[in-house]
Amino acid sequence: MGQVQNMQTLFERLGDLKSFFVYGQKLIPTLQKIVDFMQATIPLLETVNQSIQESTNKLPKAAVQIDSVTNATEVAVTEILDVVDEATSDCVTIISKLESLRTRLDYQKKSIQRLTEKYPDDPDVKELVANGLNPEVILEDYTSVTALAGKIQAGLMNITISLQVQDITSQQLASANHMMNSIQQKLSSLLYDIDVKDLKETADDAKISVSSDLAFNPEARYDKNHETQAFADLLVAENKTQTSQKEIDELFLKK
Amino acid sequence: MALKFLVVDDSVTMRRIVLNSLKQIGHEAFVEAADGRDALNKLQADDSISFIITDWNMPDLTGLDLVKAVRANPKYETLPILMVTTRGMKEDIVEALQAKVNNYIVKPFTPQVLREKIEQIIATPVA
Repeated sequence: MGQVQNMQTLFERLGDLKSFFVYGQKLIPTLQKIVDFMQATIPLLETVNQSIQESTNKLPKAAVQIDSVTNATEVAVTEILDVVDEATSDCVTIISKLESLRTRLDYQKKSIQRLTEKYPDDPDVKELVANGLNPEVILEDYTSVTALAGKIQAGLMNITISLQVQDITSQQLASANHMMNSIQQKLSSLLYDIDVKDLKETADDAKISVSSDLAFNPEARYDKNHETQAFADLLVAENKTQTSQKEIDELFLKK
Repeated sequence: MALKFLVVDDSVTMRRIVLNSLKQIGHEAFVEAADGRDALNKLQADDSISFIITDWNMPDLTGLDLVKAVRANPKYETLPILMVTTRGMKEDIVEALQAKVNNYIVKPFTPQVLREKIEQIIATPVA
């Protein structure tokens, strides 16, 4: 009796096995399709890998180029400042000489006045004053030249102010470099997932060099509308009162 | 009494612009420092420094750390400090004020603004 039962169980198991093989046969085409698909994706993955590697390798070059742009603009700005300093110094000399000219002009004016008073009817004196020594005409020229010198001086100062853009853009470029470094690290870890050997190549041969002594503000903006300064002035003024100190303390706690 | 300024900025361009602006508004005595650490050394070596103008973002020791280090020394408790920086966020300004800077300028600035802030600081009685 027991043997009959065992045989029955055996046939049942064989039936299960047969069903499994029948199912397996049906599954084979699907598995084949998966294998075919995977084989087809290998070149694609290789292309992706190559593309990532190429991008990763280009990043250090871009970082170096950004650094060289920063250095070049700093050199250029220094050269401009040299010229501006020299021109400003010349302007100061011109203004100083004009001041001394003014003193002499005042003296000349008095002398001419005395001369015309002394010789009111002398035609030579009249001609001299009319053609070459008219103090009013000279004074007019003096005033316009002085105004022009002042205008040039103000313009030179405006150039100096605008050159602050170099510091601000260098901070923006440093920020871009920092971002590129982060991207390269991400790409490197992606390469690691695809092929460990590629990671080694990237890490050893193509590491971005971000200058470690470069401190920057990623939010640096060249904004001449002075609204931010007005806002800073408000906070500084508020800081001096007890009520606003409370507000500032609250803000400080939120950080 | 004539002021002697310690101008702290890692940018050579900015130091030069600050110095030019100071000259334009009639100041003549300056010491330059390229970062906070350099500034602290120069401050300790020169007792005649009477005013600090500092940037914020600098390597090694930032402007904010410099302010904290200076204020931690009772000798420099009332030394005027003016922060000149690109950082214009409210939190930044508040943090600088908490660290006890006397006033705050956001770049780009004009010599007129610089003069105004220096005069305000000098005119404010020491608490």
